[in-house]
Amino acid sequence: MPVEIDSSSAMTVVSNSISGDASVSSSSGQKPQSPVVAAKRKRNLPGMPDPDAEVVTLSPKSLTATNRFVCEICNKGFQREQNLQLHRRGHNLPWKLRQRTGNEPKKRVYVCPVPGCVHHDPARALGDLTGIKKHYFRKHGEKKWKCEKCSKKYAVQSDWKAHSKTCGTREYRCDCGTLFSRRDSFITHRAFCDALTHERTAVENADEVKESSPPSASASPISPMKKKIFSKKSEKASKLQQEFESTTTSTTSPSPSSSSPMTKSPTTTVTATTLAGTSNTTTTSLFTTLFAPLTNHHTTTFTDLISSFSPRSYIPVVPPSSSSSPHMSATALLQKAAQIGATSTTGSLLRGLGLGLSTSTSSSSLMPPPPPLILHHPQKQEQEEQISVGLSPRLGLGLPCYDELGHHNATEMMMSSSPLFGQRAPTLDFLGLGMGVVGRGSAHVGGGLPPLLTSISGGFEMATSGQIGSGKPTGNV
Amino acid sequence: MMQFTKTTGRLELPTVVSFSSGSCFSVPENLPYGGGSSKSGEHMEQLLVHCANAIETNDATLAQQILWILNNIAPADGDSNQRLANAFLRSLLCRASRSDSCKLLTAVAYRAIEEISMVKSHRFSAVELASFIDLTPWHRFGYTAANAAIVEAVEGFSVIHIVDLTTTHCMQIPTLIEALANRPEGPPIILRLTVPLLTSTNPPPPLLDISYDELGSRLINFARSRNILMEFKAVPSDPSDAFDSLIEYVRLHQLISDAPEALVVNCQMLLHTIPEETAGAIHQMISVSSTTTTTTTTTATTITTAPIQTSTPFISLRTMFLKSLRSLEPVIVTLIDEDADLVSNDLIGRLRSGFNYLWIPYDAVDAFLPQGSEKRQWYESDVFWKVENLIARERLQRVERQEIRSKWVQRMAEAGFRRNSFGEEAITEVRALLDEHAAGWGLKKEEEDLVLTWKGHNVVFATSWLPQLILPATIMP
Repeated sequence: MPVEIDSSSAMTVVSNSISGDASVSSSSGQKPQSPVVAAKRKRNLPGMPDPDAEVVTLSPKSLTATNRFVCEICNKGFQREQNLQLHRRGHNLPWKLRQRTGNEPKKRVYVCPVPGCVHHDPARALGDLTGIKKHYFRKHGEKKWKCEKCSKKYAVQSDWKAHSKTCGTREYRCDCGTLFSRRDSFITHRAFCDALTHERTAVENADEVKESSPPSASASPISPMKKKIFSKKSEKASKLQQEFESTTTSTTSPSPSSSSPMTKSPTTTVTATTLAGTSNTTTTSLFTTLFAPLTNHHTTTFTDLISSFSPRSYIPVVPPSSSSSPHMSATALLQKAAQIGATSTTGSLLRGLGLGLSTSTSSSSLMPPPPPLILHHPQKQEQEEQISVGLSPRLGLGLPCYDELGHHNATEMMMSSSPLFGQRAPTLDFLGLGMGVVGRGSAHVGGGLPPLLTSISGGFEMATSGQIGSGKPTGNV
Repeated sequence: MMQFTKTTGRLELPTVVSFSSGSCFSVPENLPYGGGSSKSGEHMEQLLVHCANAIETNDATLAQQILWILNNIAPADGDSNQRLANAFLRSLLCRASRSDSCKLLTAVAYRAIEEISMVKSHRFSAVELASFIDLTPWHRFGYTAANAAIVEAVEGFSVIHIVDLTTTHCMQIPTLIEALANRPEGPPIILRLTVPLLTSTNPPPPLLDISYDELGSRLINFARSRNILMEFKAVPSDPSDAFDSLIEYVRLHQLISDAPEALVVNCQMLLHTIPEETAGAIHQMISVSSTTTTTTTTTATTITTAPIQTSTPFISLRTMFLKSLRSLEPVIVTLIDEDADLVSNDLIGRLRSGFNYLWIPYDAVDAFLPQGSEKRQWYESDVFWKVENLIARERLQRVERQEIRSKWVQRMAEAGFRRNSFGEEAITEVRALLDEHAAGWGLKKEEEDLVLTWKGHNVVFATSWLPQLILPATIMP
């Protein structure tokens, strides 16, 4: 416990005006200090006290003591008598400064009186009185200064003042004009704010204007998509890498180049995919319709889409140089597709690709059930086998009914790959009516699905796998 | 109908008169409940208990009388205890109006019911919801704690799959994306987000005024601005079937996914909506009515196949859900929920425990929203939703089935999880968060878990879980 020397005489003796209650624990003991503090004080860094210094522990009471030397004229308070004396000169009152003697004041360092505090240890003492006082207030005092703008609270008035000056200017500002004092709040707002969406849309639009040399079928709603995917094809592969890298540096307000790595990434896989050739023949009526105006590219790309869902079988084919993963391309394509879906009036692309067939869409009240789609892949049956490991199971994902009649491949595969499915097999509903897989036939899955199932059964429909489904939400079809 | 109308006319005055004498019933002196409410709170709680008893025993006259008194001492715009009691009062009216045997009450309650039905939950825009949730640490506490635990758990993984089970529409995700984007080893290559699209007709508030497609596209957009490729999937599912379709979706996704994927399951205040044992009779009923599908699903999804089919008549959906979760081998499960015991089948018990928990939101709101403000109306109507659900709903419609932390801890342990303690980082961040809010909020560490407190009373607990290394039973690969 600190030794209480609470008297004004002690104050004059310990002229450093450490207020009253000081306990001095240094080896030098307590001896009268030379008055006046005029000597420049070197501020010790916390944790590096001068070994010769006196270690002073002030009681909480004295640390929190307010100004005790008050001017009788203007009531201004001072922590040190010397300062009051200097102040009195201004009022033309008698004043008296103590003369300093020849002795240099002994250096003092201050420790926090709170046991357990880092600055309680003399080795981490603070070098000046103001420092220890502020520390004490900040760490152990009540935060009674509250910023009106952001509700941050401060224990030290000067901290509060400093903050108040900058509050609102140094905080986070969204492009929509809203100000945030907290980063988390800003981040969350930012993610959902229209400002971010608009920014990105603007970037995308600018991008599309730049290459407004539509190759064909510009009237079709999917033309922007084709532009993105196909017209850029040649130069993008090389550019992609660079752009991809550029996005890995940080961007809160992305430049045009960094904003669209995903839209271009499909091209890398296109160039790399050998599988593409094998399924040229597999495009079906739907895709033929969709991509009719195009010749070679579209099939390639579509295959790429498919193959990107079966990375196991096709990853080895990709040269290491195309660093973007297969997921990259698939999702990128989908994201682009989804954006188009969101802007185009008919939104036929998404649905055309079968995106609408995911479970969420088919039973969500927010969207009408998509029209049944029929995709036949008679010729692809053999190729399917080759890539079935990766591909087939995905059929069941977005549309959890992989047990249609023509799907022995998929079913067998799954049964063999996991006992889980083996157990389920006996109750598979081959009519696609019971929805057993989705879960106890609860009401929410009803509606559009059974007719949907029958309409697509027998077809090797849909790369409408979970991944497409996952990419789907961008589309306001 | 005739009777109804007559009653309405007859009831008003006599009730008032007979009751103003105050002699109709006496309040028992010492009911065994302390709780956190004030004296007047306890008094109102007792009145509510009597009223509930009267309703349950079809004593319409007594019920009316108490309702009348309550209505006078607990105005909807009174202090926090009065508003709390008012919410319970209105809920009791709702309950009475739903039961056939209390026609008389319905008459009395007619006007009140009319008023109640006017109070609709506000539909938030995403940005609005973000700032609304920012007002209190009720949700942000869990976000902050979970984010810290998740980021730590997925360290080094480049493909992350987050299943976000929450009532607050992905409001946690932006900060999580941000944290992942800034982690030392760089952002993940792919972030998958799978959320349930609640199919219930009366989902817990807050409600959103945009579709999940739109929400997802904004998140994807935001993730892209942080150089993270994100996939979003909303799976229609519901707590009433233990999110079966969601679990199935994730399971299938895992089966076919090629790259190792870190599965994170973030449960924020949604698991209590899954029916527990006291709703077991209902579950049994479902099992019987749709034996085929349920059993099939259960067989395939849970590791407790044998008990279900042989000895135990049923296991609760809650238990089933946690075991299914465990079988998905998540790298981490964060379980955050309200620390209250509201599962009693007995209305009186529920009323008491609800009254002694839900005073907190009413009490806390005074600290951050002025009386009469629009946001406060939204806030209080969302709290009322809880009260109403707790008091006036039964069976599967009652989804406010909170359990205390120790009960969840027991459930998680039984499902094959082991406790993961929150790191210093998490605690620091939660503390910083609480510093930004009213002084009444506090943080408590109970065992390995964090507990948010209001004036010393437990509000929300945060726990985090890893799969137990040695499984209690054999599990599918």
